[in-house]
Amino acid sequence: METGMISSSRSKTGRPKKSLVREIKANKHIYLLILPAVLFYLIFHYVPMYGVTLAFKKFNFVKGITGSKWVGLTNFKYIISEPEFWNAFKNTIIISFGKLIWGFPMPIILAILFSELRMNRYKKVAQTVFTFPNFLSWVIVAGFVRAIFADESGVYNALMTMLHLPQKSFLGNPKHFRSLLYLTGIWKGAGWGSIIYLATISSVDPTLYEAAAIDGAGRIRNIIHIKWPAIKSTVVLLLLLNIGGVMSAGFDQIFNLYNPTVYSTGDIIDTYVYRLSFERAPRFEVSVAVDTFKSVINFMLLFSADRFAKLIGERGIF
Amino acid sequence: MAKQDMESKTKRRSSVSYMTKRSPLDAVIFVIITLGFIIMVYPFYNSFLISIVSKAQYLKTPFMLYPKDVTWQSYEILFRTPTLWDGYKVTLIVVFFGVLYNMFLTTTLAYGLSRKRFPGKGILMNLIIVTMYFGGGMIPSYLLIKKLGLMNRISALILPTGLNTFYMLIMRNYFQSLPASLEESAKIDGARDLTILFRIILPISAPVISTITLFYALDRWNDWFGAVLYIKDVKKYPLQLVLRNALSIVITPEMDHVLKNSIKNKSPMGLKMAALFLSMIPIMCVYPFVQKYFVNGIMVGAIKG
Repeated sequence: METGMISSSRSKTGRPKKSLVREIKANKHIYLLILPAVLFYLIFHYVPMYGVTLAFKKFNFVKGITGSKWVGLTNFKYIISEPEFWNAFKNTIIISFGKLIWGFPMPIILAILFSELRMNRYKKVAQTVFTFPNFLSWVIVAGFVRAIFADESGVYNALMTMLHLPQKSFLGNPKHFRSLLYLTGIWKGAGWGSIIYLATISSVDPTLYEAAAIDGAGRIRNIIHIKWPAIKSTVVLLLLLNIGGVMSAGFDQIFNLYNPTVYSTGDIIDTYVYRLSFERAPRFEVSVAVDTFKSVINFMLLFSADRFAKLIGERGIF
Repeated sequence: MAKQDMESKTKRRSSVSYMTKRSPLDAVIFVIITLGFIIMVYPFYNSFLISIVSKAQYLKTPFMLYPKDVTWQSYEILFRTPTLWDGYKVTLIVVFFGVLYNMFLTTTLAYGLSRKRFPGKGILMNLIIVTMYFGGGMIPSYLLIKKLGLMNRISALILPTGLNTFYMLIMRNYFQSLPASLEESAKIDGARDLTILFRIILPISAPVISTITLFYALDRWNDWFGAVLYIKDVKKYPLQLVLRNALSIVITPEMDHVLKNSIKNKSPMGLKMAALFLSMIPIMCVYPFVQKYFVNGIMVGAIKG
């Protein structure tokens, strides 16, 4: 849903031939009105975009970005030779696809379950509870997660001990850290994610169900033949958007949960960029190079996802 | 499958029963949703229990079903500690002024871009949309803030996040969907664009305005990363960052000893969880009442696409 609207936003051509100056004058109030926002974009979006040139420079703290020397592709050559970068790159893709596989179907299933739940008051309360965590920051959710999955004092391991089952370390064992990410991602986001599907399901013409009932269709059949077709195009669009966003595996979540012992499976490009920038000996130009690398891949992915969507006859992203 | 056939047979007899009769399927759905419900609520309940039981109790049985040996000491300690309240103060400032600033930029731009045409509109639109996919990233933004002299100032938490392009587009689409006659009649009466915006458009756009305001307020309330980058002075930390730091303190045995002496029988985990609750209470209280606005927002964003 995030970007679907953009296709309609292009301006229409074919304006009447008036003199440009006169037209600008006639619209001067509009220019005045949008001026603050335009300035905002210039300062806080376009000026930092110029900073991307740092990826091709050696940063000089005293002289700033413009005064730094050009070094060509040196920074990119450096990151390519850096195993930590490839580790982060690999993890970003694995975690993104893991989230897609485990997390993407959950809201759909939840929406169908909710649409089939008949107790209306209970449904309302449950929906409030299911959607609420989406509105909490990962700082807070990470607090919950620690209370449950902490190695020694966590609830999970206490329960395992009580049941005489082996303990597991989710926060400190690279083997289980990704599962923890998928699990907590679902806990936080699935409820809210289901809302968009529920809205689509509830907009289905009720006479369809009546007709189906006369034809003897049960509720399972209704789900397969009425509800699923209704949400299918939303599913495809969101899936494509998700694929377009594969390079962002969830900075807030991981930054609040990870620690050095799980870098091997949990460190992603965004967290790596942060550490490159602000921990130990900061290397601004390398950090920008990694970020740029990410942006380029991200853009290519989005672009292909958009093309693909249009190819199969769905609404595109752009 | 047999069950299903039975179900459809009963339905054939009377289509009305489809909406009224309870079937085994209802029971299954109820059980699944209820299990999910418990999973959703349990972390809240668990953390709350940790925040109110004594340290001995917590260490003995981290897995609790109900509280034993209740003490409100954690909350008392936190009420006396200024850090959390400083965080509250900063966050309230950021939310209040930040949302005002957001709404000013968003409504003016959205309204401007909803006008039929003016020279440069197409280019402007494209330049704005590019920012949704391309940005300078962490370091260039950091260097900009530094250059602007906003380091370690609360305004560094407000100014850089002035406008969310996605929200702006939602609002623009809403403005565009309003009947054009409304504005034309105002123009005939001699009203100017600004007057039209404030006197006519905004009052009838209350639904979208309130939704977007809430989205911005929530984003600001939950923001912590801006402060990680730009704020050094602990007194200027927003609530979320105060909480983040409190939660990530690792308790070493020596520290535990010090804490033991000062807090007696309260576990650091209890304090952490109490801090978590104290910073979550406002959203918990407000959410049930404003949920429908968020839902509206997602629908407007999706349907107008």
